[in-house]
Amino acid sequence: MKRVRRALRPAVVPLLAIFSAFLVGSVFMFITDLENLKHFPTDPVGTIIAGIVHVGDAYYALIIGAFGDPGKIIAAIGSNDPKVIASAIRPLTETLVAASPLIFTGLAVAIAFRSGVFNIGVEGQFIMGAMGATVAVLVLRDLPPPILLVLAIAIGTLTGAAWGFIPGFLKARTGAHEVITTIMLNYVAAQLVLFGLRSDFLRQPGNNAPISKLLSTIVRVPLIFDLPAIRLHWGFVVALLMAAIVSWFIFKTTKGYELRAAGFNLHAARYAGMSAGGSIMLAMTLSGGLAGLGGSFEVLGTAGQMTNDLSAGFGFNAIALALLAGNRPLGIVLAALLFGALRTGGALMQVKTGIPLDLLVFIQALVIMFVAAPLLVRSIFRMNPRPLDEGSPI
Amino acid sequence: MSAAAPTMAPVVQELGEAERKSLRSARIRGAVIAAAGLACFAAASGSFDVTATFSFWLVKQGGDAFTIATSVGMLWLLAGIASGVIGIAQMIKGPAFPWRKSLVILVPLYIAAIVAALLDGKTANMTNVFAGTLEYAIPVSLGAFAGILSERSGMLNIAIEGKFLLSACAAAISASLVTTITGSGLAGVCAGVLTAMLAGIGVGFLLAWLGIRHKVDQIIAGVVVNIGAIGITNFVFLRILGKNTWLNTPPTIDRIKIPLLSEIPVVGPLLFSGTPYLYFTIATMLFLTYMLFRTRWGLRLRASGEKPSAAGTVGIDVIKIRYRSMLLAGALAGIAGSYLSLASAGSFQMGMSAGKGFIALAAVIFGAWNPIGAFGAALVFGFSDAIQSLLSILGVDVPPQLLNSVPYLVTIIVVAGVVGRVRGPAAAGQPYDQG
Amino acid sequence: MRLELKEITKRFPGVLANDRITISVDKGEVLGLLGENGAGKTTLMNILSGLYRPDSGEILIEGEPRTFDDPRQAIEAGIGMVHQHFQLVPVFDVVESVALGSESVTGPLGTFDRKVARSRVVELSKQYGLNVNPDATIEDLPVGVRQRVEILKALYRKSDVLVLDEPSAVLTPAETEELFAIIRGLAEGGTSVIFITHKLGEVLEVADRITVLRRGAVAGTVLPAETTREHLAQLMVGRDVDLIVDKGPATPGDVVLSLTDVFIKDDRLGMAVKGLSLDVRAGEIVAIAGVQGNGQTELVEAIVGLRTIDSGQMSISGEPIHHASPRHIADLGVAHIPEDRMRDGLIAGMTVKENYILDSYHREPYSGGGRLHADAIASGAATGVKDFDIRTPSIETMAGSLSGGNQQKVVVAREFYRPLKLVIASQPTRGLDVGSIEYIHRRIVEQRDAGAAVLIVSTELDEVLAVGDRVAVMFGGTIAGILEGPEATKDAVGMLMGGGE
Repeated sequence: MKRVRRALRPAVVPLLAIFSAFLVGSVFMFITDLENLKHFPTDPVGTIIAGIVHVGDAYYALIIGAFGDPGKIIAAIGSNDPKVIASAIRPLTETLVAASPLIFTGLAVAIAFRSGVFNIGVEGQFIMGAMGATVAVLVLRDLPPPILLVLAIAIGTLTGAAWGFIPGFLKARTGAHEVITTIMLNYVAAQLVLFGLRSDFLRQPGNNAPISKLLSTIVRVPLIFDLPAIRLHWGFVVALLMAAIVSWFIFKTTKGYELRAAGFNLHAARYAGMSAGGSIMLAMTLSGGLAGLGGSFEVLGTAGQMTNDLSAGFGFNAIALALLAGNRPLGIVLAALLFGALRTGGALMQVKTGIPLDLLVFIQALVIMFVAAPLLVRSIFRMNPRPLDEGSPI
Repeated sequence: MSAAAPTMAPVVQELGEAERKSLRSARIRGAVIAAAGLACFAAASGSFDVTATFSFWLVKQGGDAFTIATSVGMLWLLAGIASGVIGIAQMIKGPAFPWRKSLVILVPLYIAAIVAALLDGKTANMTNVFAGTLEYAIPVSLGAFAGILSERSGMLNIAIEGKFLLSACAAAISASLVTTITGSGLAGVCAGVLTAMLAGIGVGFLLAWLGIRHKVDQIIAGVVVNIGAIGITNFVFLRILGKNTWLNTPPTIDRIKIPLLSEIPVVGPLLFSGTPYLYFTIATMLFLTYMLFRTRWGLRLRASGEKPSAAGTVGIDVIKIRYRSMLLAGALAGIAGSYLSLASAGSFQMGMSAGKGFIALAAVIFGAWNPIGAFGAALVFGFSDAIQSLLSILGVDVPPQLLNSVPYLVTIIVVAGVVGRVRGPAAAGQPYDQG
Repeated sequence: MRLELKEITKRFPGVLANDRITISVDKGEVLGLLGENGAGKTTLMNILSGLYRPDSGEILIEGEPRTFDDPRQAIEAGIGMVHQHFQLVPVFDVVESVALGSESVTGPLGTFDRKVARSRVVELSKQYGLNVNPDATIEDLPVGVRQRVEILKALYRKSDVLVLDEPSAVLTPAETEELFAIIRGLAEGGTSVIFITHKLGEVLEVADRITVLRRGAVAGTVLPAETTREHLAQLMVGRDVDLIVDKGPATPGDVVLSLTDVFIKDDRLGMAVKGLSLDVRAGEIVAIAGVQGNGQTELVEAIVGLRTIDSGQMSISGEPIHHASPRHIADLGVAHIPEDRMRDGLIAGMTVKENYILDSYHREPYSGGGRLHADAIASGAATGVKDFDIRTPSIETMAGSLSGGNQQKVVVAREFYRPLKLVIASQPTRGLDVGSIEYIHRRIVEQRDAGAAVLIVSTELDEVLAVGDRVAVMFGGTIAGILEGPEATKDAVGMLMGGGE
């Protein structure tokens, strides 16, 4: 029993944080339901009940939208009709599709955090990776599909890595604060992507919108299930694989040890003979590469073409993820599934109740705030404070 | 071995390795600058026939203009001469030469030449450019002042962007609300600014509380607030303002012309007939500079940010100073946010700050944590943005995305210290235990 | 004024720092508070200066009980604290630093009246013989001058009681004498002085009365005339303290570390090391004595590869190491015990096990082909813990939670596990209790006897004289003199430390 308790302990604060955030989010939903609150003067009790019911409806839509209707799933198990099965498992697979890029970007942020660097630029590295893969596909289109796919993903990864290398290099050589440089590079990347998408080479002919030519006709990442309208592709599996690889890298290799040491205490790492600048650059490059890998899979697997809003919000969500998961790869996978569920379910919630997706972004922000302040959460829930590690100041 | 008297160091010492290196890099730098000068001469030779016209409004927009006309070639020539002189001086004098100061001369000349070349004969209205510079610089410098206040007291303030968004949104809503209720535009504007300040103060308090009381990492707290701000303001915009546009139509703010001073040709319409925000920004800049460096309040604040224990052990309440500076910073950022929605754009739009909060941080660094320096830095950033607008309005054949990227690229270059390394308050971001 | 602390008790998690301590000091009296590291002196003084509140007990000034909720109240009551680690803002100048917290202001905006403050600073320095340039920036000042600024701070606030916490740690013997003169002057003028130290000789020289603290409680109060160093040492530690390190004579072999005419830049615009030459042979311990700030730190950094030298020759066993990386130098068989173990020697957030491999993780048997060998690491760490008697609940404990002595043992265990050619130890026993100090010294002598060349840098004169076979004194960035055997007396070394011949 004690073993189980010890294993679960890191999960307590995140779970409580999620719970508190949803509570606050519900209150927010309630008070912004202006249509309902209009009736408050005339029928206060009814309004309150209606408001709570609305919130309940919203959450129900959220869960169904994320994981699927249990009734439908049960029915589908028996039937042999691909359409029925597809429709039943669609919500879940959509959640996994939404979670995949989050796993990549979450890992990217985590590996940087563990090395003591704040990589706020995953969003830029993600879309640069996607751009790299897109350009690669269009330039090398005549290669046989399997080779083209692997090559394009590799090039995308390298592009993301390069985009991550730049702020890492600047920090190592000039001390430039990576929070500012990575955020600036996000904006620059967005402009670069826009520029590329308006160029004749990439632009879809006859279309003024910033969308690229269809890549899926040339090559795409293979799907896992051959069912109608099911989009889950092998990128998800690669994401899970990367989580395992990153975990192994961080804890079981010498380079990972170096990064962790540099993340804890750069001085001691230097004194021990490690190259501080090298660690920073390596961390940022790996981080960018992971993000770029995610971007490549997203554009070649899920989207099928490059758009300028491909990475909508992945960057900041990734930071939220990493914090929520305590920079642990397993936690990141779980948190990504949660966020993916919120995104997919949120879409249905928006359709059914008109509550915009941005409320969920707000809730996510609350979650991180609560997680980042463990003391705060503990004092709210009156848990035992952990013994303070204050050195005896004699 | 008994005590040996230290050998007399030779009078003319062989250059140490570090000195040799800096001499070499100085020489390379000088050579590069001089070579650039040669390139300028080459560019000049082809373009003496292309005119470069810079115009300035004399008294008011659209009225008479005062123009300076020269040729692009002339500008290249000037740039080339300056480059050559400075490059050669650098090579001769070595590391002692103040090359960073010389950039103040070089960079404007180069920019003038490049812009004129791109314009290819079209007239550039510099009043508009400078006005645009000031407009951009106002929120950025106010944000920078907020950053300076917090960081100098020891608190990192990454959430300026979030404060901008939240206060812009709050200002727009309350201004529209109050104007509709009272029918008075002035009341609306006042309400808007006040609400914006309160929003900024609220966020500042939250950050201070999280960072001081609960020792949350201040960078994380800042990033989180930014995420939350985007989420909330987007949510409000879509859910509330989308359907109720009346809540997003704040009254316009009139410009205030200072009598007499605004009549001065060229300079008048530029500096002395702006919105109240402009005067407020400049007044704040001067006031803050004085307060920070000449008063007891400023001394104690700076001590809290450099070495809080030095202040704490003489009985100064570092925690209270940090809370107060965060609140004040929040108020300033709030005012900047209200500028965005009330004066600049005229309403609230999603994500309307477009990174200005982070550029404000860069201005803090560029300006060496000094309000006057930060204002200057904001002007530089504003100028790059204004030039970009100018070029795109005049239809210059440069991709708009490249121009859009300029402020961000300039920020990176600045922060990477190409222009000079500065030191920030030593204890910024570190929690202080008052025992 | 008469100050009394009665039955002061203060507890921290896991340790009783002050156990019913009672001390008193009269007007114009100098009280010496003696105790080794960890005895509770600083905690007691932090209570007196208002930084901490005691769990029980009271403070009496002229017989009146007083409570201090914050340092301001203590200052107002006339208590002036001169901390061991200076509390000065590096970028402020002397006037600002002294006036901070008691600034005189004019005008509606609270403008700091610098003129008034400056003239008062000048007046005070003249009155008490504390020579200081009021307009100098703190970070440009040498350590000894900074201490004078700290004292001025207390005097500026009209302190009746001056508390000096280990003031001589950063002074040459000559400067210490000057300090004593200042203290005597203050006492004659009616100021009470509490002088905290762990140095027996000093307290005998300057104090009117001596109170000894041991493990948080008062071990005894004596008059200097009625006691001896041995007696004091016994009170301090509870048993006879061996002030001599038990070692046989050195048998120097080949030169291992050779420095010739080395020049090293410091972090600002000057030269930290100016033309230093020194040889260290296998099988001998060379101890570098000297007050902090004479280039020792930069010299050590250069030897271990963390700083480049400007000119000169530096070699280990004949191999020049000017551009060698720290790792390469370590691979040559060099061990380095850094000055600041919390900042540079250990990673507090990692476990003992992970710290154990901090400089050897890239070598067999702890890793191979880029992968860490978990079993080898665990068993290596366990062996190290056992061999070096490191008191830790397990090798999975966070290094940050160990005591100072055990942390240093982790560093030493890590460095000493392999055969070494050269050991460089900077302030190896700073802040440690006597037991740990003896242990570390023993291990270092062991290395010497196994054939390693040892270079120790220490500001503790006693340590240098006890451990060093040869004593090299650094002053002003160069070796002022090398003494050994009968020549190496405290006076001779002290003279060189202060720049004399």
